[in-house]
Amino acid sequence: MFDLVFDTIFFASYGNVYGLGNITLSLSDVLLAYIVTMVVSIVMALILRVPLLPSKPYRYSFDVSALYPTPIIAIGIFSIFLVLNYTFIYNGLVLAAAIGVLSALFVKYLFDFVFPKPLDDDVGEEMQ
Amino acid sequence: MNEIIGIVIAAILCWLNFVIVDTYFGLPEQPGVKGARIVGENVKKRGGDIAGGFFQGNILCSPDASAGTLLASIGYFLLGIPGGIIAAFLVFIGNRLCADPGYAGTVGSLTATMIVFVCSFVGLTPEMFIVGMVIAILTIQGIDQVRASIILGKIAQKLNRHAKE
Repeated sequence: MFDLVFDTIFFASYGNVYGLGNITLSLSDVLLAYIVTMVVSIVMALILRVPLLPSKPYRYSFDVSALYPTPIIAIGIFSIFLVLNYTFIYNGLVLAAAIGVLSALFVKYLFDFVFPKPLDDDVGEEMQ
Repeated sequence: MNEIIGIVIAAILCWLNFVIVDTYFGLPEQPGVKGARIVGENVKKRGGDIAGGFFQGNILCSPDASAGTLLASIGYFLLGIPGGIIAAFLVFIGNRLCADPGYAGTVGSLTATMIVFVCSFVGLTPEMFIVGMVIAILTIQGIDQVRASIILGKIAQKLNRHAKE
């Protein structure tokens, strides 16, 4: 009567469920979805007041920023959905935008908790 | 393309990719973790170059552009271009777990994905890049560490990334 798993999968793969041969993403769709993911993640990160660039010196900074690593996380997760052929409606654009927003939220609020900054050298020596 | 010739070309491309990306992002300048410092000082004691030693220690201790190139080739072999991007994402996670900011690893994987994609038009397959990358890492870490460190130190000096100490 109420099959939660089926209904959820049916809803999420609304565009795909009637046969994968019918609706396929062309190369330009995939490219557009990647660009949308990156742009949405960067813009959303800037709205959340993540700085655009990491603090100086750039090459040794552990701080998160809007240009790195937000788009990397966004396109990485979007690629996982893409290879699973799970692109949702509107040629994947809705999924791309959602992943962009979620990755910006992750970078702003959860990143330092999941990947804490390494300890200073002196603290590390005391611990050994 | 002939397999042997393809592997040689792929090895050269991989070597250039990861050495240039790693050097640009400052691997020879300073050791990121203590293990890298120990490797660098040991290489210097045996007559090598300290910057090259730091480079070798850093690519030993965390996944930088070397591991990024290898994993991007494997990802491309399995899943195409999205596989290479997933490899960049996983290399980034690995970098952060290894106390490394991760710029070199992710940029290296993305450039390697692009190189494999472009070279697929002239007949170089991702398998050749996997084998070529293993050979390229062998030339840095395996055959003669001291001489490799001197070459890496010269490249670091040219790119203005030699060790500051």
